[in-house]
Amino acid sequence: MESLDLIREFLKDHVGLDPEKVTAEAELAEIGVDSLMMLELMFEFEDRCGITLSSDLKSPKTVGEMVTLMDRLRSEQS
Amino acid sequence: MTQRRVAITGLGIISPYGGDLPDFFARLLAGESAVHFLHTDDIPRPLAIPFVSCHGFNPDEALGRPLAGMMDRFAQLGTAAAFNAWADAGLSRGEPAKEESESRDNWGVAWGTALGGTLAYEKGYRELWQKGRERVSPLSVILGMNNAANAHISIQLGLGGVSMSHTVACASSAIAIGEAFRRVRSGEATVMLTGGSDAPQAYGVARAWEALRVMASGDANTSPYACRPFSADRTGLVLGEGGAALVLEDWEHAVARGARIHGEMVGYGTSCDHSHLVRPEAAGQVRALNAALSDAGLAPEQIDYINAHGTATAEGDPVEVAALKLVFGEHAARLPVSASKSMHGHQLGAAGAIEAIVTVLALREQAIPPTAHLKALDPACTGVDHVTSGRRHQPLQAALSNSFAFGGSNAVLAFRAPA
Repeated sequence: MESLDLIREFLKDHVGLDPEKVTAEAELAEIGVDSLMMLELMFEFEDRCGITLSSDLKSPKTVGEMVTLMDRLRSEQS
Repeated sequence: MTQRRVAITGLGIISPYGGDLPDFFARLLAGESAVHFLHTDDIPRPLAIPFVSCHGFNPDEALGRPLAGMMDRFAQLGTAAAFNAWADAGLSRGEPAKEESESRDNWGVAWGTALGGTLAYEKGYRELWQKGRERVSPLSVILGMNNAANAHISIQLGLGGVSMSHTVACASSAIAIGEAFRRVRSGEATVMLTGGSDAPQAYGVARAWEALRVMASGDANTSPYACRPFSADRTGLVLGEGGAALVLEDWEHAVARGARIHGEMVGYGTSCDHSHLVRPEAAGQVRALNAALSDAGLAPEQIDYINAHGTATAEGDPVEVAALKLVFGEHAARLPVSASKSMHGHQLGAAGAIEAIVTVLALREQAIPPTAHLKALDPACTGVDHVTSGRRHQPLQAALSNSFAFGGSNAVLAFRAPA
């Protein structure tokens, strides 16, 4: 699954957010992703993609930054 | 120090009958049992017990989706009950509306839960030991913590005063209500949201209670009648889930804003048996009953109804009746007593709050719900006026609600009918 689709699916399940509103420019905090939800999202990402995120990872601010980060980690650890 | 009168201005419940208070009380008056037969698919041995579930409760509908997902079921039940009580009190959620110029910095929450987020913890254990995973959800701690319900309630209602949880087994929410009452009466808080919630349907929790040999027996046909307090053929208690909340408010504050007043809280007594963890003792219960009467400035003869702890255990029921006879003397024989647990079950940390609401509604409606299924009275439980069918048109002025917990902790709440 593409990283953006994974984020969209997560936010639809957890926040009931319309996937069309999850664009690259959208700020995570503004669409309801607080620090706790970010932890959940990363946890699910690790589970679904079989990778491990380092604990000192800098939190992305936008959906686009999150997608970039996820894509990079997937290619590094594949 | 001048003591303030304490008005009860909001009542809210998430019960097996739903969240509608008049319907809840009407069903209890009619003696309707909410107990059903719970049969799970757990391995290696399914749960097969009489239980009380809030089938109609939809957390997403009651709380909204992101919020509900941040809570274990006990906090969902509790926060939803708190929302109901807050709306019933005519108060706004979150930041006060502009016309409400006063601060809520001394408004607080006192909440009771015996188990906290036990379902969240059990889910984690299953992940680790049943599914062989190496980690659990990052939300496990905040879902499981015992103060999750009161923390969520304070945040959602915008209350800046004390926010505390009380874990005192079956007396948890009675003690929470009592401590909230003291804060309003002393003037430390203008408004306190109080009550309790629990969701004990975790496999390990149910098995633990089963091992104590205090659970009622029952099958698909007999479960509705499984909880029979004071009955000669009682077999034990029936666990259940639920949440209940009350808004306690400075009387003058309530009158000034034109709030509807359901009743008045007038006293609170608490004690410890200090003798045994699970075997109750009348002397300890007598101390709590006398303390509540003294605190309320009521004579025993002025009490018109008692909502008993009445769990239907072999040891508990006769001791409670013995304590009532010691405190009420000759009045005991004329004192109406009922155990509404016979119908709504035992919600552990929520039980005291549910029964406080039953007691307040009894005073408000001038009607007494029965101890259901009480056909053959245990000879060890005679000496009080057991209410075996709903009584309407009763002249009720003052009533008590008893909660007597494992650990020997006792709490008695005293209420008066609305003035």
